[in-house]
Amino acid sequence: MRGKILGILSVLILLCLFLSMATAEHWYEPLSSKFLKLDNIMNLLSRLSLYGILGIGVAFVIITGGIDLSIGSLVCLSGVLLSILLNVNYEAESTFAVKQITATQQLIETTAAAGEIPSDSIVRFTGGIGSGVVFTIAEEVSPGVLRVEELPPRDEPEGELTLAVPVRSFDVETLTAEISETAAKAGDQLQIFLPNGAVSVQTIVSVSADSGSLRLQLERDPGKKYHTGSYAAVLRRDQFMPIPLAVLCVIAITAAVGLTHGLLITRLKLQPFVVTLCGLLMYRGISRWLTGDNPAGFGELQEVLGPVASGRLPVLLRGDEVLFGIPIPFFLLLGLATVASVFLTRTIWGRYLLALGRSEEAARFSGINTQRVTILAYVICSVMAGISGMLFAIEFSSISPSSFGNSFELYAIAAAVLGGCSLRGGEGSIPGVVIGTAVMMVLYNLIMLLRIPQSLEYTIIGAVILLGVLGDELVRRAAAGQRLRQDRNRN
Amino acid sequence: MPAAPQSQPRLQVEGISKSFPGVRALQNVEMHLQQGEVLSVVGENGAGKSTLMKILAGVQRQDSGSVRVDGKTVSFASVSDAMDAGIALIHQELNLADNLTIGANIFLGREPRRLGLIDERAIHRESARFLKRIGLSLDPGTLVQDLTTGQQQMVEIAKALSIDARVLIMDEPTSSLSAAESERLFDVIRDLRSQGVSIVYISHRLAEVQELSDRVTVLRDGELAGHLAEDQITHGNLVRLMVGRDVSRVFSRTPFPAGKVAVEVRGLRTSTWPAHELNFAVHSGEIVGIAGLVGAGRTEVLRTLFGADAPLSGEIRIRGQKLTVTSPVDAIESGIALVPEDRKQQGVVLDMTIRENISLASIHRTARSGFMNFAAERRQSADMCEQLRVKAPADTIRTGNLSGGNQQKVVLGKWLSMKPHLLLLDEPTRGIDIGAKQEIYQLMDRLAAEGIAILFVSSELEEIMGLSDRVIIMHEGCITGELSRDQLTEQAIMTLATRQASAANVQN
Repeated sequence: MRGKILGILSVLILLCLFLSMATAEHWYEPLSSKFLKLDNIMNLLSRLSLYGILGIGVAFVIITGGIDLSIGSLVCLSGVLLSILLNVNYEAESTFAVKQITATQQLIETTAAAGEIPSDSIVRFTGGIGSGVVFTIAEEVSPGVLRVEELPPRDEPEGELTLAVPVRSFDVETLTAEISETAAKAGDQLQIFLPNGAVSVQTIVSVSADSGSLRLQLERDPGKKYHTGSYAAVLRRDQFMPIPLAVLCVIAITAAVGLTHGLLITRLKLQPFVVTLCGLLMYRGISRWLTGDNPAGFGELQEVLGPVASGRLPVLLRGDEVLFGIPIPFFLLLGLATVASVFLTRTIWGRYLLALGRSEEAARFSGINTQRVTILAYVICSVMAGISGMLFAIEFSSISPSSFGNSFELYAIAAAVLGGCSLRGGEGSIPGVVIGTAVMMVLYNLIMLLRIPQSLEYTIIGAVILLGVLGDELVRRAAAGQRLRQDRNRN
Repeated sequence: MPAAPQSQPRLQVEGISKSFPGVRALQNVEMHLQQGEVLSVVGENGAGKSTLMKILAGVQRQDSGSVRVDGKTVSFASVSDAMDAGIALIHQELNLADNLTIGANIFLGREPRRLGLIDERAIHRESARFLKRIGLSLDPGTLVQDLTTGQQQMVEIAKALSIDARVLIMDEPTSSLSAAESERLFDVIRDLRSQGVSIVYISHRLAEVQELSDRVTVLRDGELAGHLAEDQITHGNLVRLMVGRDVSRVFSRTPFPAGKVAVEVRGLRTSTWPAHELNFAVHSGEIVGIAGLVGAGRTEVLRTLFGADAPLSGEIRIRGQKLTVTSPVDAIESGIALVPEDRKQQGVVLDMTIRENISLASIHRTARSGFMNFAAERRQSADMCEQLRVKAPADTIRTGNLSGGNQQKVVLGKWLSMKPHLLLLDEPTRGIDIGAKQEIYQLMDRLAAEGIAILFVSSELEEIMGLSDRVIIMHEGCITGELSRDQLTEQAIMTLATRQASAANVQN
């Protein structure tokens, strides 16, 4: 195993050396090369981190002698799920559906309960021709049926009323507004209905309560001089889930996916290839259906989430400018790789995994619950795909469900195999997988930097993996041959 | 009827040497074979028998030395070269495609053709002829998977005859045959000999070798230990040449002091033989053998006790406590250990080190919240290797590189450190050389003296009779009788092993 890791490490170093020389202006000045540009290295590290996490996950499954083809689709699904679970909505505090507006009688029939819309309150109508008209309630004729003071422009069969409050004052200098008391908090939006029918939407920065009114600090000038006499409604900010909960949910869902794979494979003895191939198709389909095949993103949360995937921990600074920073995901990779490596080499479950990968039956006859350990490997693999998927989605900021994550499983499997995992099972090391992923990433970088036609990408990567595996086999045979000769000489 | 000594030997091997990484398999070996002669090649495991046969059959090439067939030096690059020279090897593990018919197997790769299509009628006709020649009255259209192991062996022989083999190499042909099937095979071998076919017969079973051979060649540690002519073939001579020393007392069983009932089985029905209920008990310190023909349901009993197969019904009590065993995990927790028949598949993980194998079943006991206790693992392994005298330069070498006997010691080492109450052994000495066999017998005796209850299955009557305090005899899934040590005779065991249970015995 150690020999394999050293082998792939030397391939990585040779590739880097070659690329430094090939992309430098003069081959003898490799330090000035495009490859060794700090930006390029930072990008490379960032990609390595995300793909590396995928590779570590699939390595566990490969060690059991299985395979997981579904991780590309699972990457997509977890990105889509994170986007959906973090969806941000703004909703008016109180709205009521309109059943009928009878213009001639100045009556509005609503679904409001008795007393919910008191006399003298202000409502704004949306829907139909009369959209945007502001009414003052004269009285409640019967529960939910209101007489208004203004004459509605025409009869309407349906629509919506939003309860509004008068804007008492607006200070353009300090961007503060004062409204009649209503529930509002920082982060909500204030919808100001200007007398000319226009609407200005403001984000509320902070709130302070005065006697009987709220003073709101707004984000920017609504752009109209005339503010007094207008009305406003508070739009409450509603995030479907807080970020930590959403992340936990995605992890839980991917763990459930892995559990299902594991159960199907161990209990029903289905082939891993078939089970995960079906997964590949299904999770892709679910992602597209959930999003209606539209791109998914994180909207305003991108600013909050972004640093997790594309943030850099500054190492080299010139003034305030970051010359070189280590991508945050790289630390995540190091952390996960350390945990995974300790798990594999220093815990009994890691030992069980290696044993059952080599001989499932012997492991079972030694009292190892091989089914449980195998299931665990599939859960680890799916959760790693989930973590990596969320990071990829944040890094890409907008993902298209039909293509995001396509063939990532092949990159991950290839990296694991390059890193010394045997598809026969029972063999593999986490550092090897990380180095294998690095080789893949440098190869990809090589194609970009040397301006090799992108269409050749897969051909080159495929060929290099084949050469790597071939080289490994030849070295193994040569070593065996040498041992044989030594033995013969000794005899 | 050995041919006249002055005639040209059919097969002559001189100065053959062959090395593998880490192993010198053959060193300057010499051997010859006359026409119409049965030559047995014997030797302990790892003595080089299989390697020599593979070289003769073209599976491997020698590093040096010459092979002559009918006086002509040959060099086989492949199995088909050897076949062309009239040499066929019948492997210990049969190489038949069991989804094809007998005829299709006999002519596999050499199908007679008519108009470019396989000529099924010719296959049928010719196969029937070869089957008849070895006295097998089977329809060549029968699927191989519907045959017994013994019949499949015969098909292999027919296949060898169909290529006009004049030298037939048989590697442990009786290892999975019943006594009756073995007898049939011997008849066929004698018949072939009288037809002028030369046979190289490889076996661990010295009784067979004595019964069958015209001459014996003995290998030891890759070298020629000696040749024995027909009148020199005695058990003593064979063992002396194989081991290089006299093995006077192979079995040593100290009398069994009556202990408490360690395990009691009531009304157990295995999934393979659902019609029969099994009842028996094993006391601590007692060695109980299960005798019977292959397929009598002996292995199933052990597998069910170990939780590898689910019982249909019945009760198992360990030291008086009722037990529900649904998996090996449960069995091991209750102190039941199994040394399985298929050592390479179920006994050890060949690709792991000796140390890793020895600790595999018990690392969870020394682990601290899941983390391996490497020091404890090292101590345990060193302790077991010393106790069991595992012959290896270090306990960090691959278990697959060990000889069968040492592998078996590793399996035993895995269990002994867990101090089991009941040790189950399935064919514990299969494929193991005499030296290691004796060590395992002594070990079983010692373990019983320490109070462990031992239940073992063996197809070797010698072993059953030499070791057991009591013998349970099975036939087609039910217990047909039980014999105490003083009742043990070969005759008594074989009678019970080949007849249906009487009503009285079932109630036992």
